[in-house]
Amino acid sequence: MNMEFAFLLAGVLLILAGCFCLIRTYHLLKIIIGMELSMKAVTLLFVIAGRINGNMELSQAFIITIIVIEVVITLVASGVALDLYKKYGNLDVRNLRNLRG
Amino acid sequence: MNMLNLTVHAMLALPLVVLAANNLLAKQTARKIALYVCAAVAFFQIASSVTLFVMYTRYGITHYDFNIFDPGQVSADYFSVNRLDLFLMVCIGIVVFVSVMLALETIKDHKRSYVNLLMCLLLGMNGMVMATDLFSLYVFLEIVGITSFVMIAMFRSKVGLEGSFKYLVVSSLGIVLLLSGLALIFMQTGTLDFKAIGESLLDTQDSSRRALTYSAVVLMISGFAVKAGAVPFHSWLPDAHQSADTAVSVLLSGIVIKIAGIYGLIVVLDLFGSLEAVRIIYQVIGLVSTITGAVLAARQHHFKRIAAYSSVSQMGYIILALSSGTTLGVVGAAAHIFSHAIFKSTLFSNAAAIHEEVGVLDVTKLGGLEKKMPITAFSSVIAFLSTAGVPPFCGFWSKLLIVIALWKSGDTVWAGAALAASIFTAVYFLRLQRKVFFGKLADGMQDVREAKNSIGFIEAALTAVTVGAGLLFPFALQYLQTAGII
Amino acid sequence: MENIIIYVSLAALLVCGVLAVMLRSIIKDAICLAAASAALAIIMYTLGAPWAALFEVSVCAGLITVIFISGISLSHDTKAEVRREYDDKRRMGVLPVVLVVAGIVMIGAGAAIHFEMPVAQRLVQDFREVFWNSRQADIWGQIIVMLTGGTAISVLIKEEKKKS
Repeated sequence: MNMEFAFLLAGVLLILAGCFCLIRTYHLLKIIIGMELSMKAVTLLFVIAGRINGNMELSQAFIITIIVIEVVITLVASGVALDLYKKYGNLDVRNLRNLRG
Repeated sequence: MNMLNLTVHAMLALPLVVLAANNLLAKQTARKIALYVCAAVAFFQIASSVTLFVMYTRYGITHYDFNIFDPGQVSADYFSVNRLDLFLMVCIGIVVFVSVMLALETIKDHKRSYVNLLMCLLLGMNGMVMATDLFSLYVFLEIVGITSFVMIAMFRSKVGLEGSFKYLVVSSLGIVLLLSGLALIFMQTGTLDFKAIGESLLDTQDSSRRALTYSAVVLMISGFAVKAGAVPFHSWLPDAHQSADTAVSVLLSGIVIKIAGIYGLIVVLDLFGSLEAVRIIYQVIGLVSTITGAVLAARQHHFKRIAAYSSVSQMGYIILALSSGTTLGVVGAAAHIFSHAIFKSTLFSNAAAIHEEVGVLDVTKLGGLEKKMPITAFSSVIAFLSTAGVPPFCGFWSKLLIVIALWKSGDTVWAGAALAASIFTAVYFLRLQRKVFFGKLADGMQDVREAKNSIGFIEAALTAVTVGAGLLFPFALQYLQTAGII
Repeated sequence: MENIIIYVSLAALLVCGVLAVMLRSIIKDAICLAAASAALAIIMYTLGAPWAALFEVSVCAGLITVIFISGISLSHDTKAEVRREYDDKRRMGVLPVVLVVAGIVMIGAGAAIHFEMPVAQRLVQDFREVFWNSRQADIWGQIIVMLTGGTAISVLIKEEKKKS
């Protein structure tokens, strides 16, 4: 059980935690926090991948791109969540029941 | 030849020019001409892609590599165009053109926003098709994803925002799965270039590497399956497609799920196709999606929701085609991408026409519209016949190609299952047609008129393409054979 | 010494991550997320990725936390303030159990297949050269992502036209 396996384990556990948060919560902004947590876990996986294959600079290029995309996704998701707040008055996911079938 | 190659560069840069012009010109001017400029860009894409395809076949060129910043040389992480990419770009151009035609009638207030987002989407899809590196593929996939989220939420209605948020959440899960798969592959090879991920990754006997490779492949397939709307990740598709405006639904159902999802699956098949597990996963996902989509579509009441479940079913069909693992399978899948784009566009044009004239899209409230909207009804019937695989329309040929590809690669059971599954598609479409267009004229429909200008025009044009492509298909097959593809 | 820093930061990252999911107040969640970003940045710097650590701490721990807190303050939810309605503590309470079980399963699987990934020799190259020369399609994609983000925000924030 060396350091790389510990990192891999931590990455998988964090992805599980993020997905768990995303699925079980009732608060719109907390869903976004779950998304962020999962993407941080993916960043951790890229860091350990860079260390294992020796090409740390390429890994850093990937991580920087992922962080830029993460910011834009957070912005768009918060924008949609705030528009939903303006329509419904609260940030409850249980409001989103209009589309059925 | 070099002049023509410049058009490929243009397809990655021209939408940006339109985007800048749309925002820098005066508001009134921009609102008047923006949609026509978009239609011109789409037409330019169709024309140049067809020309390049013919030229490449004539001169025997298989692909063209280029770098976006240093046009002379080709270094790492370049863009590459081969003939499959050109064909997909033709499909992209066609669906974007249809969407712009629909937007001329259905989008009144948000024209500039729509054009901005459409140009970004076009750039994302073009870049995705031309990428040669798994990570660049991911970056352009994100561009496509972000623009689709915002396009669904563009009108800020309650259902629009809800559909957009649900799509956002499920898509995020898919992206995390895809990126984990990419990280696991990167761990072993040190690069994510298509050419460098070679056989060395698959031949190894080391058990840790095999475990990592298999997990990576499963994760990547799951990620792309979320984007394609395949079962069991299809829950976002009906909500997103139903709640968006019709011009946006055409884009989503007609081309985005294919480029974002199916093209990714084609890439995975290309890289890892020699693994037996990949083909088995595709077969299972394909068949389950086809049957589930068809069964669920038969129970819906909303026109666009039926169309969305139909998309799930047809995506399953295309994945089943890919599972054969041969070139004929990929050609069949590409042909079905084209046929499905055409008939889904026709279906959504009909939905736009009905929504504009009648105002409701609930199937239980409509009826007997054939008397009032003959062009719409006619195009709908032709689209239905194409979907069901009736000769001589193009749907028949693409389904035939798929069944032959499955038969030739030895999966006769799956070929039979594919054939049986296509009967299901006929069932729900027949129900839709009978309820909406034929039968007794429903209440309150007395003074409904025919579809307006551009919607009627595009319906007629799409019907002509369906019939024409069906009649010309044998010649196209012959052409492909002489070109050495099949 | 280096290993101790790495393991402590990894533990902090895990703890902050789980806390971010389980806490009831949304502001505390955002702050835990910022702390998790900081821990991740320390890990990255110690492992030899200074550029990524810089981006992580300035963008994720800074910009995203600001976005969250401004989102939270714009949507000041007067009625269900203390999140009792959202009932998060009960719904998320099972998370540590799930994580421990998953961890045990993974350790078992890793031991069963004798998981061993040898660390390769570190290549010596300049990050700036790698980033600007050999990731050109990525850079084009990033430019377009940022333009798309700007377009998206301008569409989502646009004022509704007053019906006259």
